[in-house]
Amino acid sequence: MKRKLISAIGVAGMMISLAACGGDNGDGGDKAGADGYAGETLTVWVMDGSSPDQWQKDVAAAFEKQTKAKVKFEVQQWNGIQQKLTTALSEENPPDVFEIGNTQTPAYAKTGGLADLADLKTEIGADWTESLNESSIYDGKQYAAPWYFANRVVLYNKKIWAEAGIKDTPKTRDEFYADLKTIGEKTDAEPIYLPGQNWYHFVGLTIGEGAELVKKDGDKYVSNLADPKVAAAMETYKKFQALSKAPKDKDEATPQQGEVFGKGNVGAFIGMGWEAGIAIEANKKIEKEIGYFTIPGATADKPEGVFLGGSNLAVAAGSKKQELAKEFLKIALSDKYEGELAKLNGVIPNKESLQSNLKGNVVAEAAAPAAAGGGTTPLIPEWAAVENAPNPIKTYMTAVLNGKSPAEAAAQVEDEFNKRLAQQQ
Amino acid sequence: MKRSLFGRLWPNVTAVVLFIGFVFPVYWMFATAFKPTGDIISEDPVWFPTDVTFEHFRKATGVDHFWTYVSNSLIVTLCAVGFALVVALAGSFALARMRFKGRRGFVIGFMMAQMAPWEVMIIAMYMIVRDASMLNSLVPLTVFYMMMILPFTILTLRGFVAAVPRDLEEAAMVDGCTRAQAFRKVILPLLAPGLMSTSLFGFITAWNELPLVLVLNKEAEAQTLPLWLSSFQTAFGNDWGATMAASSLFAVPILILFVFLQRKAVSGLTAGAVKG
Amino acid sequence: MTVQTERPPSGPVDVAKRDESGPAGPRPRAASRAAALTPYLLLLPACAATVLLLGWPLLKDVLLSFQNLNMAQLIQHVTEWNGIDNYKEVLTGEDFWRVTLRSILFTAVNVVLIMILGALVGLLLARLGKRMRVMLLIGLVLAWAMPVVAATTVYQWLFAQRFGVVNWVLDKLGWHSMADYSWTSSQMSTFFVVTVLIVWMSIPFVAINLYAATTTIPGELYEAASLDGAGAWKSFTTVTLPFLRPFLYATTFLEIIWVFKAFVQVFTINGGGPDRLTEILPVYAYIEGVGNQHYGMGAAIAVLTILILLGLTAYYLRIVLKQEEEEV
Repeated sequence: MKRKLISAIGVAGMMISLAACGGDNGDGGDKAGADGYAGETLTVWVMDGSSPDQWQKDVAAAFEKQTKAKVKFEVQQWNGIQQKLTTALSEENPPDVFEIGNTQTPAYAKTGGLADLADLKTEIGADWTESLNESSIYDGKQYAAPWYFANRVVLYNKKIWAEAGIKDTPKTRDEFYADLKTIGEKTDAEPIYLPGQNWYHFVGLTIGEGAELVKKDGDKYVSNLADPKVAAAMETYKKFQALSKAPKDKDEATPQQGEVFGKGNVGAFIGMGWEAGIAIEANKKIEKEIGYFTIPGATADKPEGVFLGGSNLAVAAGSKKQELAKEFLKIALSDKYEGELAKLNGVIPNKESLQSNLKGNVVAEAAAPAAAGGGTTPLIPEWAAVENAPNPIKTYMTAVLNGKSPAEAAAQVEDEFNKRLAQQQ
Repeated sequence: MKRSLFGRLWPNVTAVVLFIGFVFPVYWMFATAFKPTGDIISEDPVWFPTDVTFEHFRKATGVDHFWTYVSNSLIVTLCAVGFALVVALAGSFALARMRFKGRRGFVIGFMMAQMAPWEVMIIAMYMIVRDASMLNSLVPLTVFYMMMILPFTILTLRGFVAAVPRDLEEAAMVDGCTRAQAFRKVILPLLAPGLMSTSLFGFITAWNELPLVLVLNKEAEAQTLPLWLSSFQTAFGNDWGATMAASSLFAVPILILFVFLQRKAVSGLTAGAVKG
Repeated sequence: MTVQTERPPSGPVDVAKRDESGPAGPRPRAASRAAALTPYLLLLPACAATVLLLGWPLLKDVLLSFQNLNMAQLIQHVTEWNGIDNYKEVLTGEDFWRVTLRSILFTAVNVVLIMILGALVGLLLARLGKRMRVMLLIGLVLAWAMPVVAATTVYQWLFAQRFGVVNWVLDKLGWHSMADYSWTSSQMSTFFVVTVLIVWMSIPFVAINLYAATTTIPGELYEAASLDGAGAWKSFTTVTLPFLRPFLYATTFLEIIWVFKAFVQVFTINGGGPDRLTEILPVYAYIEGVGNQHYGMGAAIAVLTILILLGLTAYYLRIVLKQEEEEV
């Protein structure tokens, strides 16, 4: 199991690379008989918050122009998506194209619900960043196309930090902690909003510690939460969580942490760049106060480990519009629109040549330094079952935050964790 | 018999306390829905919405397809309740008024049907509907909702049918009515309060149903209000104003129906008893 | 809405029932065959619906419980029989038994609370003056009518950690540690919220119906009792209680079913958490089956859940069986 995406997304490459490769393509010539699709409608499921309206509109227009067919975007909530997707894939009319989380892709590839995209890979995927494409490959076959990737940063309220007299953003974990402490002492703001179950951040911390969440036991995977390295990551989490009034048994979406931050009385939170949008929607005035910085690591030369979350686009094996679906992917993943998505959302695009789109994007510039040391949860089909509610890792986190020792908490959830990893497929 | 001051006072005091306890959650829902956000998330609760806003209601009804959900919910609920009443009326008449072999079996059968834990059979129902190519349609919802309320409706109506004095029916038949005519002209009018109060339960059950519609209908065109309310809660989890506005809108039809029908039902029940 | 007592609680019905001699009795012979078929014809739609809409899913569920049905099998429409593996796994694990015990305790506590408090409120209603009674009735009806999805949402808001009015009141009452208390953080506090919600929603049904039933008790019975020198308590136990007994049985039966199946309340308030500690059987079946996409296993748990519910209500069903026997 390779879980580190020792990516080719070099920090330097990302920040400095000039638009050497940009600006080409987008409307390349296409097969004949393009208007054979007139009257058809392609259904595309995208996740809440993943693609801006502007992008959807542009892609839909380009798609219609080229194929004469329409595309209908349906926005899905993350909550309960696996059940919804599984049943949908079994139906007569599944969504033709859908976004699927990179960590969930192997499990779905194994079910036979995803169409083989080998020819698409040959046609447009030659220069996809290899490490980002890893989750789309199962058993040597290409079951999805990498779409975008992102990692978490610290979003902070400049006004509150200035009020506390802090001039510079922190470079190490200890500095970060000290700054938050200062905010707690000098202002009446909550220094950081960190709910007990922001487990993607916790996964990032384990990656930073070089810990593995599962280990092999014979031919099975079993829990590795008892590893002292995991415990160390959890201790870090706990230390910062103690500064927050956020509930210990909730994740970052209930309530939306962006919304809490938007009220203007929270010093910082750890989240995705786009979550700033939620804050701004809750409170327009917060917009000019939001700043971003890389999550500081133990030492100044190495940022904190991050979970490199991302999404792939897949085609349902049961879709009756296979060709049209691939036409859509060719447009959506073309340099023009892949670049537009990177630019609008500040996410890492699927090929290095498009990284120039991130230049000048404050979020991407804060995220990039950590991306190189990013990783994912184990890319094994067995993993998908672990993330189903109630996620044992979340349970582990809450248990530790409520006073159990990491070892006790690990022992508490081990059975459930192992059961899920061993679940019959 | 004279009661002490205390003896007269405590029932009233208890009644007031209970009244507050039962009404407060309902009141708080409406009050929150009308309050500006600043008043909702204030350190000290604002007990009465002094400056009323419709902002939250606008947000709640501004969701795409809102009116589709409303009409779907109404169609499904009314059809389910209507069918259930017709089917149950026939059955309950047989059970209350006739003697036949196996009657006991039918009664126990419906009692057991009433216990069906529908929530745990969702996947079986999903697969049946899927394999019949009936997903994203209101038809399976309607018939399943009808079935969910049918046993209760039969068993309850049976009590109402039995409560109609038999002499009336017989008198009508002596006057030359057939049994069917006697039923229509004499029993049905007397059953009206019973039908109304029984349909209330059906209405509430069908109006509330969430787990089934969640798996059966993925397309917005075929979804109902409970899905809207629950997705609203996911999307606006922290926006209590909007969530409470949505809850209020969802609850209002039932509240109105209930206050209206319950009075009739209870008075019908007691009036019948007194008259007899 | 009323309760399905075996004998409706009103006086005249008993009279009506007693002189029932069967409709076919005094009739001419020619009509008797048609008459004999009538009840079956009348019951046909209801039975057909039950077999098709309840029997079929039930059968399907039983079939699924003998299958290995996960994501892949569901997506590809593959049927993989695996015998009694699902049952073996469920019944040999301790989870199932723990959840079953919890479910039964949960049901018992709630039903006892509902019945006792509901009966007390019902008796209080009978004792109040007209104006107070109407006021309390309005309160009860409002709570009763709240749709469960809406009520659950409202309770989440009442018990919200921040800005929830319950925490504020407790704090003001001097219980300062409750100021930012998270009700969903522990098993007992979650159950507390769920129980308050369920009891709040269920009392009106019991109270209003019990009140309606007491108004049908003939006054002479009390007079006779007081002539015999019975006090308030004595006349309650000798007159009120026996009269209400069938009603109380029927209501308890319904409440057991409703509380046992309280899926929406438990699932929405805290998703069976924290740490799966508040899962009751229906929630457990849902999380194992749909949540973990282990559908065959979920079906097996569903079958077991149905059997347990039948067991819990067997006593009442037997009473009904006996009663019906007497009448035939």
